[in-house]
Amino acid sequence: MHTFKLYLEFIKIRIVSHIEYRKMFLFWFFAQWIAYGVQLLLIWVMVHRFQDIQGWKPFEVVLLYALSLNSYALAGFFFYNPCTQLSHLVRTGEFDEILTRPLNPFLYLVSREFNFGYITHVVLAVPVTVVSFVMLDIPFTFTNILMLLLILIGGALIQGAVFLFTSVPAFWIVDSNGMQNVLFQFRDFANYPLSIYHKSIQILLTFVIPFAFINFYPAQFFLGKQDFSVFHPAFQFMTPLVGLVMFALALWFWHFGINRYKSTGS
Amino acid sequence: MAFIEMQNVTKQFRVYPRQKGFANALKSLVYKPYEIKTAVDGIDFSIAKGELVGYIGANGAGKSTTIKMLSGILVPTSGQIEVGGLVPHENRKRNAGRIGVVFGQRSQLYWDLPMEETFDLYKRMYKIDAAAFKRNVQFFVELLDMQEFVRRPTRQLSLGQKMRANLALAMLHDPEILYLDEPTIGLDVVAKSKIRKFIREINREKATTVILTTHDMNDIEEICDRLIMIDHGRKMFDGTLHEFKQTYSDSTIVILDLEEDAALQVSDGRLKVIQEDGQRKYVSIDKNIISLVDAITQLAQTNRIREVNVKEPDIEDTVRRIFEK
Repeated sequence: MHTFKLYLEFIKIRIVSHIEYRKMFLFWFFAQWIAYGVQLLLIWVMVHRFQDIQGWKPFEVVLLYALSLNSYALAGFFFYNPCTQLSHLVRTGEFDEILTRPLNPFLYLVSREFNFGYITHVVLAVPVTVVSFVMLDIPFTFTNILMLLLILIGGALIQGAVFLFTSVPAFWIVDSNGMQNVLFQFRDFANYPLSIYHKSIQILLTFVIPFAFINFYPAQFFLGKQDFSVFHPAFQFMTPLVGLVMFALALWFWHFGINRYKSTGS
Repeated sequence: MAFIEMQNVTKQFRVYPRQKGFANALKSLVYKPYEIKTAVDGIDFSIAKGELVGYIGANGAGKSTTIKMLSGILVPTSGQIEVGGLVPHENRKRNAGRIGVVFGQRSQLYWDLPMEETFDLYKRMYKIDAAAFKRNVQFFVELLDMQEFVRRPTRQLSLGQKMRANLALAMLHDPEILYLDEPTIGLDVVAKSKIRKFIREINREKATTVILTTHDMNDIEEICDRLIMIDHGRKMFDGTLHEFKQTYSDSTIVILDLEEDAALQVSDGRLKVIQEDGQRKYVSIDKNIISLVDAITQLAQTNRIREVNVKEPDIEDTVRRIFEK
């Protein structure tokens, strides 16, 4: 409990210092908002024009987008900065400081580098989720809300794991940011129903980089759909489990990386 | 087992030498040759509680690597390390609670917080009890002359102020061991002397074990009881400062000012004239084979001496000579 409050304290310090640079923060806020708003608009125009994609109606596709953006935002709060900064911290040897604290290095890094900027994504993604629930007549029952939370947490764990997997190599490769960009391009596949893609991509996004569990499979629980292609319908319930397994693997990988830290610099 | 114990510790790194030319750069995408660089090569030492040890060596000798292994940052390639019954890299969290570290110019401070708030944060991070915390803050702020800048945001502090702040933070939780990697680097004389005073004081008051690396031999001369010297990752010397001087500085310099500008008359082979500078002559003697009194007596018999000065071996000269060999 004591330690938990301490991690919260680091997050608080980050938020305060973020807000202190008010103009920069507001500018960034709007820039992000416009970028993601335009992306959503493009998807909307596309789906609306064709009326349906592989049996998915416009608002169903919007729901996919909302689930993906929400879980990305949750992951981004905690993992975006640590993961993009890691290669810098390793290169300069600043990572030393993290290993000499009486704290869990991972939790310490994640709270110290908390990125409050992802509030932008939340401000966009939450209303879009609510609107798509309303437009698709999905009732806000206890079960649905609980499922939604579990799916978002599971999705965030999957996205967080991807952040980690792509950044841990910074411990032995000097710059690993390139890999991160490539993998996050894959996230765009998840903006559309998985079933429109070639089988090989479906398999890739299910078993290798399981972005399909962020939105495509679990969305079908709310929509009562049966669009599972070659996969099992049980996949719609597996997001939290996939998230936990992915994240556990990513943490193991993190520990593997830490023990290979070279501490360059002076 | 001693308080801090290193047994046959080796740390190797892979280094990838940059190949020249575009073709080689492309080739390195597929196959990148590497070399094994041994930073620390079979080091042994043990340090008792409350010792103040200077750890010296040229750049790249393996000093920082050793300190980083002791503090749990680096995992040794082979050998055993134990610090107060713990293996540092296996018990990072617990080890970190018992040590304080200051690594050169790398700051432990939180950029956006004034010192006072950073102190509070440390109080919670290291679970320091209220009474000890209050006592330590008062003690350190006074000892390090920090009154004038404790309320200022960290980013506005000068290098010397930052270093003092870092030292205070490292000691706030009363660690049993303090690791200092070049604590006086880049500082002016006043700041250096404050820091040296602080280190001596906390070692005396709190019996903190201190290991410090430095290039400034005055640090060693003014602070340390014991000296460990490494070169190319191997231990070259381990003993007291006095022993160090006796072992390595075989020569004492006798500086003579003669009454007139004449060549120095020396009849004994044990006296070596190393420099003649007008009336001033420099004679080097080895105290192991001739005593200082004998040397001066002999010189006085054959020369008209106005004044005699004796220069004891300077540790910096000594170290430089050893490394140049």
